[in-house]
Amino acid sequence: MSTALVIGVVQGGMYGLLALGLVLVYKGSRVLNFAQAEIGTVSLFLAYWLVAQHNLPWIVGAACALLLGAAIAMVFERVIVRPMGSAPRLSVAVATIGLLTLLLSLELLQFGPTPRVLPPPIEGLGVHIAGFYVSPTQLISLGAVAVIGVALAMFLRRTDFGLGVLAAAEDPIAVRLVGVRLSRVSAFTWGVSGALSALAALFIAPSLGVFTPGVIGAPLFVASLAGALLGGMTSLTGAFIGGIAIGVLEAVTKYVVISSNLSATIPGAQSIAIFAVILVVLLVRPQGLLGRGAAA
Amino acid sequence: MTALASTPQNDAGTPRDTRAAALQALWNRVLTPRRANIALWAVLLAALPPITERAMPHLFTSGQAQTLDVAACLAMAALALNVLTGYAGQMSLGHAAFLGIGAFASGIMVGRYGLPMAIGVPAAALFGGIVALLLGIPALRLRGLYLAITTIAFGVALQLSILRIPWISGGNAGVVLPRRLAGDLQLIDNADWLAVLLVALLLIWLLDSNLMRSKVGRAFRAIREDEGVAQSFAVNVVTYKLTAFVISGALTGIAGAFYGHTIGQANSDPFSYELSLQLVIMVVVGGLGSRVGVVAAAFFFQVFPAIMPSWFAGYQVPIGAALLMYTVARHPDGIAGMVQEMREQRAMRRERRATPALDDDLDDIDEQGRLPKLPALPRPSTLPPRPEVAGEVVLSARNVSVRFGGLQAVDDVSLDVPRGRIVGLIGPNGAGKTTLFNALSGHIRPQRGEITFMAQDVSALPPHRRAALGMSRSFQLIGLAKSMTVLDNMLLAQHLLGGYDIGSALAFLPKAARVERELIERAHQAIAALGFERFTGTPVRSLSHGQQRIVELGCLLVTDPELLMLDEPSAGMSPGAAENLAVRLRELRDEQARTVLIIEHNIPLVLDVCDEIYVLNSGAVLASGPTETIARRPEVIGAYFGEAVPA
Repeated sequence: MSTALVIGVVQGGMYGLLALGLVLVYKGSRVLNFAQAEIGTVSLFLAYWLVAQHNLPWIVGAACALLLGAAIAMVFERVIVRPMGSAPRLSVAVATIGLLTLLLSLELLQFGPTPRVLPPPIEGLGVHIAGFYVSPTQLISLGAVAVIGVALAMFLRRTDFGLGVLAAAEDPIAVRLVGVRLSRVSAFTWGVSGALSALAALFIAPSLGVFTPGVIGAPLFVASLAGALLGGMTSLTGAFIGGIAIGVLEAVTKYVVISSNLSATIPGAQSIAIFAVILVVLLVRPQGLLGRGAAA
Repeated sequence: MTALASTPQNDAGTPRDTRAAALQALWNRVLTPRRANIALWAVLLAALPPITERAMPHLFTSGQAQTLDVAACLAMAALALNVLTGYAGQMSLGHAAFLGIGAFASGIMVGRYGLPMAIGVPAAALFGGIVALLLGIPALRLRGLYLAITTIAFGVALQLSILRIPWISGGNAGVVLPRRLAGDLQLIDNADWLAVLLVALLLIWLLDSNLMRSKVGRAFRAIREDEGVAQSFAVNVVTYKLTAFVISGALTGIAGAFYGHTIGQANSDPFSYELSLQLVIMVVVGGLGSRVGVVAAAFFFQVFPAIMPSWFAGYQVPIGAALLMYTVARHPDGIAGMVQEMREQRAMRRERRATPALDDDLDDIDEQGRLPKLPALPRPSTLPPRPEVAGEVVLSARNVSVRFGGLQAVDDVSLDVPRGRIVGLIGPNGAGKTTLFNALSGHIRPQRGEITFMAQDVSALPPHRRAALGMSRSFQLIGLAKSMTVLDNMLLAQHLLGGYDIGSALAFLPKAARVERELIERAHQAIAALGFERFTGTPVRSLSHGQQRIVELGCLLVTDPELLMLDEPSAGMSPGAAENLAVRLRELRDEQARTVLIIEHNIPLVLDVCDEIYVLNSGAVLASGPTETIARRPEVIGAYFGEAVPA
């Protein structure tokens, strides 16, 4: 059970990063980005291609993946979102479905439906902390999540540009009047969310073991979406905590199903658990736990 | 303007002419357009199987026929998704799940329990519909993308978990789906099977086109365009969104059953995220709402890989995705919408050439203020006779308060609107007039207070229920479905008069057809009364603001409402037109005995037409009473002109 909790928190941290990206874009552009997880998945496949197929060091593959994630999101923002201007937000969301499908299908065309493995960043044994076994990748991911969470919060709250980003979500016109360039804010939020997505995919890959094109993106997206919804779609902290909560829920569900020998009877029970969370949030508290506005 | 008076009947011609005319009349009576339509469909459906059976084996190999079979199934699914997304504007990202439900339902019935498909396919529809209902209830109460969120999560849960549960899937291989239509009738051959699929596709097409001719289809389109407008036309938005989803789920279930029987054996693999996304592409790129576009896109998706060189096969999905982004960003109505737009423009150019005076005519109405006479239509037969009590209060509000956060927008307002009077609501900008209107019509819920309409407490009723009682309101920004035609808006306005159920709408039974004919007749009368015949088929958005205002007034009147609530009807009108509006409003009261509550900034107009005036300031009633006394009150003059004018 305790191991399940550790796995849950680590995995949840990744969902948290994805959810953070979702909320950042949602606050910035009022768009629900359906391609959020798939941007990371495609970046992961670039890392796989570089590291596993061309024997480059993990860190090189990871860096390229982060760049690709940010680049895809920023290009999409520049080419599709910005020209759409004040078009209905629903239309922009549908455009992200186009991006999602494009990335998904290119992934499938390039890598086919074969399961792939990306070597972890560090081989070797993990450490025992207070009786829990923690693998090196898990340690790194926990560290990375913490560092990124704090850095992003500092950047948004302490720098002029960061405050501009936060304020633009509240009142874009006022922010423009005090001299913040909205196009930069928009490019920034999309770019960061793309990079966050790539990072989350990179760190989640080792705990998945194998990943198959066209299959890993959807559960990843649903989990992070559930996290963002739980946190209220407009709260960055809420999204992050929501993501971790979903990770823990998933791990605990898996643990309970396996330990009560039900894994053959109900395969993939965690996807039902996440679906149930979404339904309950919609029924009981559509504004989420920490949110103010409604989604979309 | 052309004279519209019907030509007087000529003297009777020769006996031969009369007999020919009588025969012609008889023929017309026997072969109504509706019957001709039914006959055409019957012939088509009957002729299809033998033709396909004979021709297919010569034209295609079994493998090619299988490709077409799958294409036909996906076309059914795309048509089904089109009902939800294309017509009602709700996004589903998990429609592959409904295909899966249909395939497994029919597979378990036919493959496992040996029942014929005649039971398996309806069961698939039933399951699809029930699941849609269960998902839709939490998701569709809310506005926005919640349905997309719910369906995406459901699709993943279904594919990765539910369809893999052993007692559902029967093991890794999945369910077996033999093509046993009934008894011993099995269709092994892919070409024979195609005949069945094409008949099913045509039937779904038929249901779909019936639906769109009915009030249900109009309600869907209005919801897609603007839920608020749909609501004020008395459409129960949540119920209709749910209806669209349930119909879509049931039809997709049917498509799924046929898909399963086409591939013969199904596990959870085909019902993937990617398939759901492909269906969305077919619907959006094919042209939201256009049946031809959607079916063509579905066939294209299947046939493309088969006819392309192998290195290029499979690229239909990224191409489709890129097209989707392009269409959404540039042509939000899809390719079919683009064609439609081009056609409209061409028709308009042609019309302009034919009647060069048209544009001048348009300006006339606005600039010289020839606001047409507003229609006085007889009370619709489906409504009970109006309960008339002279001097009775139609609408009354008691102590209504609305607060937005820290702002007291409406503060303890009470007002009465007596029958047969025009009551004005005036006050400076931000006085809370429109907020009060919204509270009265139910678009916002006041924190405190009671609203009585037609001697009934309506405080807790949603806007569409109040509209159903006879409360008809206009909006500052025109409350019409802008991309729908003038005729469609007039029909939409009569939503409540369409007294037939969804079943008769789907089958377009004689009852529905008769009601629809009446509604269309009434709409044409109203349009003719406004003198707008030549705009009947024009989308509202291409009319001028003044003309849209007139159409909106016509729409309000076409249901014979008890109370008209007009929010700044003279806004955007020229002084001439506004003066004319006064004449028309007085006609409404004096000739049609209507009751009107009106918000206006045009004080001369208010003083001219209103019997009673309520002055609102900072959310509270500053003064109220008969027009003559209000016009002299110093605090009213103060609120309006800055300071009291010494008498």
